[in-house]
Amino acid sequence: MGYVAVKAGEELIERAADLFEKQRLNGDTEPVSVDQLEEQLGRTVAQVMSEGGVYAPRLAALAVKQAQGDTVEAAFLLRAYRSTLERWDETVPVDPNEMFAIRRVSPAYKDVPGGQILGPTKDYTQRLLDFALTNEGKTQSGGTKEPMDPTAEWDVTTEEAPESLANVMSVLRSEGLVHEPDSPEITDPTDTTRESLTHPADRDAILQELARGETGAMTALGYSALRGYGQVHPTLAEVRIGRLPVMIEHPYTEETATITDIEVSESEAIVPVYAKRDDPQFAFGYGLTFGRNERKTIAMTILDASIQLDSDAEPAENPEFVLDIIDGMDSFGFIEHLKLPHYVTFQSILDRIRGIRQRTADSDSTHATQSDGTTTTEVECDE
Amino acid sequence: MSEINAETDAEVKEGDQDDNVTTQSRDYADQHARDQPKDEMTEPKRSAVETIDSLLGEFDDDDSLSGYNYAYLDEHTKREVRRSIIKAISIPGHQVPYASRPMPLARGWGTGGIQASLSLLGPDDTFKVIDQGSDESVNAANIRRLASNTADVETTTDTTNADIIQTRHRIPEEVLTDEQILVLQVPVTDPLRKVDGSDAANRRRHAHRNYGKMWVHLYENVVEWGEINIAARYPTMVAGRYLMDPSPIPRWDVPKLDHADSLFIFAAGREARIYAVPPHTSVEPLAFEDRTFQVERFPGVSCHACGSTDTYLTEVETDDGSVYYSCNDASFCHKRQQNPELDRDHHIKQSIDGWGPGVSDPDSGDTAGDTE
Repeated sequence: MGYVAVKAGEELIERAADLFEKQRLNGDTEPVSVDQLEEQLGRTVAQVMSEGGVYAPRLAALAVKQAQGDTVEAAFLLRAYRSTLERWDETVPVDPNEMFAIRRVSPAYKDVPGGQILGPTKDYTQRLLDFALTNEGKTQSGGTKEPMDPTAEWDVTTEEAPESLANVMSVLRSEGLVHEPDSPEITDPTDTTRESLTHPADRDAILQELARGETGAMTALGYSALRGYGQVHPTLAEVRIGRLPVMIEHPYTEETATITDIEVSESEAIVPVYAKRDDPQFAFGYGLTFGRNERKTIAMTILDASIQLDSDAEPAENPEFVLDIIDGMDSFGFIEHLKLPHYVTFQSILDRIRGIRQRTADSDSTHATQSDGTTTTEVECDE
Repeated sequence: MSEINAETDAEVKEGDQDDNVTTQSRDYADQHARDQPKDEMTEPKRSAVETIDSLLGEFDDDDSLSGYNYAYLDEHTKREVRRSIIKAISIPGHQVPYASRPMPLARGWGTGGIQASLSLLGPDDTFKVIDQGSDESVNAANIRRLASNTADVETTTDTTNADIIQTRHRIPEEVLTDEQILVLQVPVTDPLRKVDGSDAANRRRHAHRNYGKMWVHLYENVVEWGEINIAARYPTMVAGRYLMDPSPIPRWDVPKLDHADSLFIFAAGREARIYAVPPHTSVEPLAFEDRTFQVERFPGVSCHACGSTDTYLTEVETDDGSVYYSCNDASFCHKRQQNPELDRDHHIKQSIDGWGPGVSDPDSGDTAGDTE
């Protein structure tokens, strides 16, 4: 373990990175294009945008490619890039009812105003591996052909668009059945990327953190509430997928201008927990994520509802617990940092355990009958 | 560094004037431009149009990160970090929240440290990075490369040459001076996390200086094991007010924090907190009168390379099953190999005897480590 010149360390890093890059290029196939990832792996791209906290499908696709498909790593690349961008403005709040929905189901009712719209989903099919996909786009002789579009022959002109997709939650609220959200006494929204979270956190900060949470962690914690470690077993009022306009106030005319739109998943739930005794109303939960990610948005709905109960009886109901552990960047970084050298602290731990064992041995030899010498010894060092 | 200090002073006085930031940022850009192509600047004049293109061209030529701000972070962020540092210095040991930015390093890998370092570094500074006592560690090399690529600083492995040293889990063996800043990477910001997982509850405890639960924990340690068996991350009381997690430095390094000449900045990226021990501040490890604080002991062993017996050693298992010990501070070990008599305060005029265990004679029995 002699002293090695600094250059060696840097060269090692570069070589290790080169080897990683080589793994991507090892096969015989053409490199995957960013366009292909963006168009054909839309769910992965959506997850990365949502966890990265920036709506940029093409950059997310690039990140997925660079990370060789590791979603957390890709989201991390996006966040690191995002933090170098100037923060220009805040958008005008938009009513989710303005969403152009391609999918909308309401489990709470058999039928709802505007109807149930299944839209594109594989929810109701059998999960069988489709071996036909392995040869998609290839002819038997080995040439290429256009993949089949299963909707090519559809005649959709007869279907009329629904007149409205009235929000199921607002129907329930108009009947006074659902608790209204507490209106926050703030003029400017919190931005948890610019102001670090302290507890107790405001609900806007909580929703932001949930919206950027890691899909797997959100799913696990949301499931914990359903599984019995919590009181929240919601009925979903709606799950929607669609596009929402992004609006800003024009800097000169001060008129509201729509600059683009974004795809989002939204979910709302009622929770049969009555907020007030004198006027029983359902509690509720809300979820919204960038792109298409129904699992995460429903998990977010459960966690929002659970956190509003604000108890430390169950993990999912303890806001500090949930918000501290759902962030993928935090958890992945800290879990993986254990790979870094820890020999300084390990030496310190060794010193403690040897000291204690030595003393135990000394006292054993003086009181030979006292112990069989197999006592377990714990040394504290969280690092 | 002096110039940065001057500027932080100025910003404290001037408060929230945003136009100040713009000027400051432009100053940096100019400075960067001046410093980069020193040789070419001897040419008499360049047209304005040429300047932008040539600046971009220069980015392509060297290893710098093109398109990124000086020292990676934008000026607003660096200013916010410096303000948090000033607040942390003003309230020694108190954890100051700041909006830790996502960095191009994974959280838990020194992102807090690098944000503090990049916010303090100026182009004239010399930077050293160590990880577990070693400059050569791959993660240290990565952090150092980020700083030298974006902040255009000199880097060094010599502790005595560095203006700012970023470190993970060690305080160097050579005594730090009043012109140096040590930035420690912090994984867990609150020593009370051991006894309660809730930061909200622990913040209340800090506010009330209510450390009873920690004392009970230490007492239970003694009851169960006969002594306090905390290895690294030893809870320390700063200026008699705040209980502080000194980061996972070994107990060996804890006495170095007490009444030091240098400034210690503790920065956590993942947990978004900064705290500090200013120079000449008392830092006292928690212990009992009859169960005193003990540093790691290395009885009868010395560094296999330089022969030191007064440095923190780590043991190395070899292929043939034998074990040898080696200095953990790689840079100082290298110097000792040239000159085995070199003192740890060799670079300072007056001799220092407070720099942790072993500066005075390790066998004299007057150091904290030899109480048993």
